[in-house]
Amino acid sequence: MKQTLGTIFEAKNLTKRFGGLTAVNDVSFEIERGTMVGLIGPNGAGKTTLFNLISGFDSPSAGHIKFDGADITGLKTFQVVERGLARTFQLVRPFRYLTLLENVTVPSLSPRGRAASERAGIDEYASTILSSVGLVDKARIPPVVLPHGDLRRLEIARALATNPQMLLLDEPFSGLAHEESANIGKLIKNLNEEGVTIFVTGHVMRELMTLVPRVLAMHQGKLVADGTPKEVANNKVVLEAYLGRGEGYA
Amino acid sequence: MGIFVLANIWVIYAASWDFLAGYVGQVSFGHAAFLGIGGYATAGLVRYFGQPWWVSVFAGAFMAVVLGLTVGVPCLRLKGPYLALGTLAFSLILNELFQSPALQPWLGASGGVSGVPPLSPDPVVEYLVVLAFMVASLVVMISITNSRVGTVFRSIRDDEISAEASGINTTKYKLVAFMISAFFAGVAGSLFALHFRGVSPPVFGTLYSFEAIVMAALGGIATIFGAIGGAYLFTFLDTFLGDLTIGSFSLAGLSVFIFAVILVLVFRFASGGFMKPFVERLKEFIDILRGK
Repeated sequence: MKQTLGTIFEAKNLTKRFGGLTAVNDVSFEIERGTMVGLIGPNGAGKTTLFNLISGFDSPSAGHIKFDGADITGLKTFQVVERGLARTFQLVRPFRYLTLLENVTVPSLSPRGRAASERAGIDEYASTILSSVGLVDKARIPPVVLPHGDLRRLEIARALATNPQMLLLDEPFSGLAHEESANIGKLIKNLNEEGVTIFVTGHVMRELMTLVPRVLAMHQGKLVADGTPKEVANNKVVLEAYLGRGEGYA
Repeated sequence: MGIFVLANIWVIYAASWDFLAGYVGQVSFGHAAFLGIGGYATAGLVRYFGQPWWVSVFAGAFMAVVLGLTVGVPCLRLKGPYLALGTLAFSLILNELFQSPALQPWLGASGGVSGVPPLSPDPVVEYLVVLAFMVASLVVMISITNSRVGTVFRSIRDDEISAEASGINTTKYKLVAFMISAFFAGVAGSLFALHFRGVSPPVFGTLYSFEAIVMAALGGIATIFGAIGGAYLFTFLDTFLGDLTIGSFSLAGLSVFIFAVILVLVFRFASGGFMKPFVERLKEFIDILRGK
């Protein structure tokens, strides 16, 4: 059930400088509503900084971010979430002493979460979210005892509970075995089919290339390629960026 | 009787600190600021404006909430040790202000406020009133921690960045928590002033700020209930050690040392506080009663 097309997200000349280092350098791109876009680049390319700018954890030194028709540059994180743009973290950050259900209850209490859970009630809504990522039978236990793959699912569940229009997934495959990676890939694909726009990063290309139809590539803070996975994988700058570090591609 | 009254006042005070630190993760090193402002407001209202004690207690608590807001807005931008130092600084500023000879006509300088009429001439009535305040305060704080808002509070304690990414306005929630905690510390300060028939500037001092932490930690952080054990143990030890003499030689000076030893022992052998096992038994018992 794809939504009508049109641009949901636009970054314009985004730049972030930390002292003398330019972590994100004049990055511009657009994302169509309901699509799935990947972002690749070697470690240190600026992917996480870009995510931090978009999700309001950091404000850009220059440039603008538009989401769902409004300028969201400089908004605080919770305000960005309130517009319908949620993120996950590369290093999972569960609420350690809360049960999984409570972990998902918290975002259900955000303004969008409340609106979405109004009919079902918050507990029921949170359970539904947990079951959509396959964690509902672990609702009553705290996250400390979970394997890494489950923590990744929890991370996605928490973002989902804010009822986002678009999800920023920061390295959702990192640290996962092949089978679990494939499962997370399926989960992301399902979310997209339900209408959530997906923007997902990865530094190993394999999982991403099979998942998304369009890939952006970053290198040293700059956007160096934008196209189908095949085009990007054969892009000269991308090849050099990866081969220079001796990492695998495609 | 007096010692039980004091212990119950300290329960409220310790629980108010535990509420903020144990459940919201905001560690205050200047909680005496709220204790003191509640005490001064109540003492002043009863002594100079002839207000009944119960009006004054709520006015004192309200003043503490206002102070909580004043301290909270600038300080809650600070995190971890910086927040602790910020709150400490606030309490020290108040300590200086209330000591200042220049402000003597308004704040009483080092003499503070004295000659406050007691809550009741009957010590039993005083005991029962303070006990009622203590029970009500704990019930309210525990209910809050068990509510949805409490879940959000605990999420901020566990990971503030994640809470923010979950769409929670953490600043707003932290400010609310600060005000709730200040309210109960203010109640404790008000009862304290009534119990001792007055207040003086040291009530803002670091000694009282750290007392809150010591009592809460003794009883077990993030329990609320623990404050009962912590405050009673503290009050009895304090009184007992203060009175301790061998012949004509007073051992009062030893009390700080003995406290330190007890604290180290509790943290070494029962880092969750010595009340933890009891609290857990109690929870199991309540679960059994509810038929879980």
